[in-house]
Amino acid sequence: MSIEEGAKYVAAAYAIILAVLVAYYFMSARRVTVLRRDVELLEEETKRRRASAGGADAD
Amino acid sequence: MKKLVSAPALFLWAGAFLIVGLLLAFWWAPVDASAMGFSQKIFYYHAPIAETSLVGFGVAFAAAVMYLRTQDLKWDRLGYVSVRLGLLFAVLVMFTGMIWGKSSWGVWWAWEPRLTTFLLVCFLYAAYFVLRSVVEEEQRRATYAAVFAVIAFIDVPITWFATRLIPEGLHPVVFKAGDTGMEGSMFASFMISMIGMTLLLAALIRHGWQIELLKDRVTDLKSILGG
Repeated sequence: MSIEEGAKYVAAAYAIILAVLVAYYFMSARRVTVLRRDVELLEEETKRRRASAGGADAD
Repeated sequence: MKKLVSAPALFLWAGAFLIVGLLLAFWWAPVDASAMGFSQKIFYYHAPIAETSLVGFGVAFAAAVMYLRTQDLKWDRLGYVSVRLGLLFAVLVMFTGMIWGKSSWGVWWAWEPRLTTFLLVCFLYAAYFVLRSVVEEEQRRATYAAVFAVIAFIDVPITWFATRLIPEGLHPVVFKAGDTGMEGSMFASFMISMIGMTLLLAALIRHGWQIELLKDRVTDLKSILGG
């Protein structure tokens, strides 16, 4: 393999690796945001049901 | 302090170190005098990625020990995420190592000690996922996975020391006791890339762990609402 060929491989490999890792980071960041929202909604629903169950018991 | 070690902060630090490391490696560190020439630049990311993958497996080992001590599933989740990322980095190492091998030794692959033991590491940690997929019960799966992660970790120091234990292999031994084995500018560029890659792993582990814990919370809440 010539130096010019090697340089091409080196640069291409680095670009691909960084692209893979950065994409992975942003995908996981998005997943965290979505899951946080899901947890918030489910917690609100749980509280609402508990409150309504408590209200029904009081009646 | 919490903000400084949050995943976005770690990612920004990692990005800064990796960009500076890239600039230094390609424009400051001299082109290697050996036959590899410019191709030697691959060292500035091949070696950091390799060491980072082993750090990932080290975190998985520590998490496995913590799980076996406490039986707390949060450690199982950390171990799972660390193995997954360690394996991702390990695949990148194999990929960059093949380019290194082709430009340095003229072959894409050689059955020499470092490469062979590293391939074994990859197979072992791939088997970790197979093991997890065949055990249904949560606590039992976590226990088996933790024991497996502890046993698999035995190959990590063997891989690390393979080039020192069997010096006849093709893979070079760069760092020796009291000698960095390279020029100051090369070593500085390497270390900055190394720090950047480690911070990137830390950011990815933090996010991955957070995702697994949030998924557990969603499952718990859904079972409360369903029941």
